[in-house]
Amino acid sequence: MSTSDENHSLEAGEIARFLSYVAILAASVALYLSAEHIPSSRFEVLGAAAFPKFVFAAIILIAIIAIIDSLRKISRTAWGQFGGEVLNWLRLRYLVIICFVVFAAYLLLVPILGFSIASFAFVFGLQLILMPRTPLTLLIAVLVALAFSFGLNALFAEFFNVFLPRGDFLNG
Amino acid sequence: MDDILTALAQIFAVSTLLYMLVGSVAGIIAAAIPGFTVTMAIVLTLPLTFTMEPLQGVAVMLSVYVGGLTGGLISAALLGIPGTPSSVATTFDAFPMARKGDPGRALSLGVWASFFGTLISTLFLVVAAPPLAIFAVKLGPWEYFSLIVFALTIVASLVGDSVIRGLLAGLIGLAISTVGADPILGRPRFDFGIEMLETGLPFLVVLIGIFAISQLLSEVENARTVRSGAKLVTDAIDFKTWKVMKEVLMSPVNLIRSSVVGVLIGALPGAGGSISNLVAYDQAKRASKTPEVFGTGTPDGVIASEAGNSATAGGGLIPLIGLGIPGSAVDAILMASLMVHGISVGPRLIIDHGDLVYGMFIAMAVASFMMLIVSVLSMRLFLRVAEVPKWLIVPTVLTCCVVGSFALNNRVTDLYLLGAVGLVGYAMRTLGYSLAPLVLGVILGPIAETNLRRALMTDSDPTQFLTRPISLIFLIAAVLSIAWAIRSHLKTNKMNGVKDAHAS
Repeated sequence: MSTSDENHSLEAGEIARFLSYVAILAASVALYLSAEHIPSSRFEVLGAAAFPKFVFAAIILIAIIAIIDSLRKISRTAWGQFGGEVLNWLRLRYLVIICFVVFAAYLLLVPILGFSIASFAFVFGLQLILMPRTPLTLLIAVLVALAFSFGLNALFAEFFNVFLPRGDFLNG
Repeated sequence: MDDILTALAQIFAVSTLLYMLVGSVAGIIAAAIPGFTVTMAIVLTLPLTFTMEPLQGVAVMLSVYVGGLTGGLISAALLGIPGTPSSVATTFDAFPMARKGDPGRALSLGVWASFFGTLISTLFLVVAAPPLAIFAVKLGPWEYFSLIVFALTIVASLVGDSVIRGLLAGLIGLAISTVGADPILGRPRFDFGIEMLETGLPFLVVLIGIFAISQLLSEVENARTVRSGAKLVTDAIDFKTWKVMKEVLMSPVNLIRSSVVGVLIGALPGAGGSISNLVAYDQAKRASKTPEVFGTGTPDGVIASEAGNSATAGGGLIPLIGLGIPGSAVDAILMASLMVHGISVGPRLIIDHGDLVYGMFIAMAVASFMMLIVSVLSMRLFLRVAEVPKWLIVPTVLTCCVVGSFALNNRVTDLYLLGAVGLVGYAMRTLGYSLAPLVLGVILGPIAETNLRRALMTDSDPTQFLTRPISLIFLIAAVLSIAWAIRSHLKTNKMNGVKDAHAS
């Protein structure tokens, strides 16, 4: 990576941080205003709303400082290149995105398929995506998937009396 | 005396010793896996302790903790990859030593240094925790609130390159802690009609999401590394255990200094092994007559780093037992495990549950012996764990995270929260926010709010925070801590500026 590319990447990172500060500021302002509606108490000086309001006020203050500090570091030209840098960043981390999407699907499928089936599909599927595929690794993947789905379910049920979701699919 | 005997009987029960042995092995294995932190190992152990007696559960978790603090050295020494953040400095000398053909010595040095570091920190714990607890009982809500403020500022000053983002992360943690019923009157806050939020965000789900999910996602950032199945360790490992033990004991000053650094840093809320190993290494290098050999494979570097990180285990328990304040995320989970059993952790812990506290002291010592035995006997076997590829680790550990999150409340909605928090955690990690302050904010938030409101209910005069001497000392310490953090930050910026100018 050339020095110029590195600078663009650093500036894109600073813009992303700037946007995170703005999002934090907006959420804090909204929650500060929402805290106004928490009922007060006649028994104490500070009500239930005081501490959250104090925390959100502090976040607002620091987020404003962070925004000013961040704007100082971003050059005008960096904004134009931000979209491209984000796409480049996403392209480099495509595996993270795939992993998270598969993980999210797994979380949504646990109550439907049950822990064992959903976990088997998840562990085996994700290993398949991540691994160098050879007959040996495929065999290992199947065994590991069985151990961390049906095996884990049996372990928790038998030894710890913790019953993992059985799933609507099996319950009918 | 009765408490000590009861504790001894509980710890030396066969079932407890067996569980501790398993915990020790699990901790070493977990920490040997790059990216799998001690915190994650402890988090995953927690649900397994729900059905155990409180002391038994804590003893198992301490075994995982002590084992984990040592296990990080395996991949640090053999692969040059710190298995955990607390073994970063171990890579500086243990890895060159291993590369020079002495991997067995590098590992053995680390194991013995860890063992002595843990024992020294346990001694400190036994001596320091009871008087601190007795002192802490006399503290009022004013002092407690000021102490929490101080603890929060320490977190912000130790978060690395950005004080602003450290403070923001800590405050976001505090904000998360305000969701759900308020701790004094139980009034609903920020639940937006969602049932899951009425009782607040479950701390452990937040913890697993923030630390484990985000870490595992960051492990697959480099597609080429993940998909390569190449072996990284080829050298044979040769152990000369007793010879190395003597070598470690021949450096008593380095060993004790590094352990004391570990204890002190461990005792500071927010700091932990990830800092102590670097500080201990730095102190050993400054004190050495031959600082130039540091970084080339000198035993003193390995001893300093490993004694320093292992000693944080005992150090972290001092504020936990004495004040009810977790010194690190791991201590917070230990605290949570006691709370699950209905035991409130605070200054009264040693008075109300003496057997439990003495049991923790004994468990620490037993855990360090177990770690030593397990490490010496099985180091060759553990080496295999460092070879486990990421394609296998990531899906299996993600599944363990799901089990850990679900087992806490048996609620499927917690799994959705886990995914959402994990994504936020990954985004924060990528954007350079330190995650430790956030977690400590979540833990310290309710304690800060309860004491602030209690103080003002007792006496509505807010100047009490400044006029009560101990409270004032804590607040001054907090201001100094922030000033120190800002000064260090500006100094680093200035140095970077000078470097850039030279480079261009």
